[in-house]
Amino acid sequence: MDTNIGPDEMLIHMGPHHIAQPGPFRLNVKLKGETVQDSDVEMGFIHKGIEKILESKTYLQGIPVVDRACYLAALTNEEAFVGCVEKLAGIEPTERSQYIRVIVEELSRIQSHLLGYGEYTEFIGFMTMFFYPMTVREKILDLLEMTTGARITHSYLRFGGVRDDLPEGFEAKCKEAFALLRRGLEEWGELMKSDTIYRERTVGVGVLTPDTAKEMGVTGPPLRATGVDFDIRKDEPYLVYDDLDFKVCTETAGDVYARIWVRVAEIYESMYIIEQALDQMPSGPLFPENLPYDRRAPVMRVPEGEVFHRVEDPRGEMGMYMVSDGSDKPYRVKIRGPVFPTMQAMPPLIKDSQLADVVAIVGSLDPCVSEADR
Amino acid sequence: MKVDTMEAEKIIDSLNAKFPDTISDSQIESEKRISAYAEAGSIVEICRYLKDELQFDHLSSETAVDLILKDEIEVVYHLSSFGQPLVLKLKARLPRNNPEIESITSVYWDANWYEREAYELFGVQYRNHPNLRNLVLPDELLGDWPLRKDYEDFPQKTAKNLV
Repeated sequence: MDTNIGPDEMLIHMGPHHIAQPGPFRLNVKLKGETVQDSDVEMGFIHKGIEKILESKTYLQGIPVVDRACYLAALTNEEAFVGCVEKLAGIEPTERSQYIRVIVEELSRIQSHLLGYGEYTEFIGFMTMFFYPMTVREKILDLLEMTTGARITHSYLRFGGVRDDLPEGFEAKCKEAFALLRRGLEEWGELMKSDTIYRERTVGVGVLTPDTAKEMGVTGPPLRATGVDFDIRKDEPYLVYDDLDFKVCTETAGDVYARIWVRVAEIYESMYIIEQALDQMPSGPLFPENLPYDRRAPVMRVPEGEVFHRVEDPRGEMGMYMVSDGSDKPYRVKIRGPVFPTMQAMPPLIKDSQLADVVAIVGSLDPCVSEADR
Repeated sequence: MKVDTMEAEKIIDSLNAKFPDTISDSQIESEKRISAYAEAGSIVEICRYLKDELQFDHLSSETAVDLILKDEIEVVYHLSSFGQPLVLKLKARLPRNNPEIESITSVYWDANWYEREAYELFGVQYRNHPNLRNLVLPDELLGDWPLRKDYEDFPQKTAKNLV
């Protein structure tokens, strides 16, 4: 961005700490009146160097590290990492643990979307709305906690399986939470659909067309809100997604309003997936018998090779590219998160919009800055 | 709408036929993964062809790998498509002392940040990049190329705290 400002222009730095930002990044906006002329994203405020850290950790030690890339999508990050290692080492997880993974990952998607939903409404000034999803989200986090032992960073997946089986009473608790969630979603949906101010602020704002979204490499709900049915769970099924019945949720408008509804529809779809998975889940061991390494082996030498494994994160396409040199640590791991390209798409997206809408548009992309910075 | 599946073999044949001198080692790695090496000088041309003719309309990721033992830096492009699930891994070898390659931002708009990241972490110089400066690193770290492998003790095979 050209930082020279004309006589009737103004440069505003939003962030790195701003009440309406989901994480620390700085948005430099050049304004003419209240209209955005140009903008520029500055990142790196929480750069953790996760790719470098992974190079000095053994494979098992890597699992808690990738959790921290994005704390809202810890389980899908783990799935990408563990999936890479499994492909390299030729391990096939047992069917039961694949189902368990689907269940916890969909739960993780639900809690992430609920936070995105609540947080977003808060950004546009609908403060009351923030607390409704958060209450139910706590129930979902309880389910995750009773299974994995942690609310946010789980370290639950293992190479070839999962750490523990589902606890007793999980199914009943699941039903309880889902009934609450379904009732809540209906109620909040009514609340949001009927609110004229909310509609004014979201309908037709920050419109992405399918072609520009594809050109900018945007994936996940922002892309699906434009009508493109791109979902790694369908296009490149991993785990047992092939055996489960679900649809890819799309909208056509591509605006802020549509993005929120895609997330809501995905919450319903995730619940449906989990219910199916609980019904279909076979009993059996968590780990395959011919596991080449001990389940807790701190040192496992993975065969030389490289692999690119993609999974569907709550925010889009999460891929990891792993190079192994035959030692017990990865030679190189590249984390391709969905938020990185989405954040890059921000400046063109907010161009020519009003300053008050910037927050609405940025919030609707649901960017997890922690993951973009890594 | 899903586009008809383009078969891996067809793509490889088409690439080899179009760029007989600049594409090498093309192979099918698995059902949904193919890989090829490209001559660094013609990377933009190849990407343009892949995007326009072979439906690779999505840049999944772009990064670099420091192969210090071979004295090379490899730039790795993962090209995929919104229409079908095939991923093409395209690599270009660059000399380690002067890693320089043409930027593909003219073909894939979102390569911009990926290239800035590869630049600050590995020191890959992208020619004709619209804005080649650091993205996540602070200014004073620029030039240290933190993800390169020339640090003391490399290759240190096992984590010290474990054995």
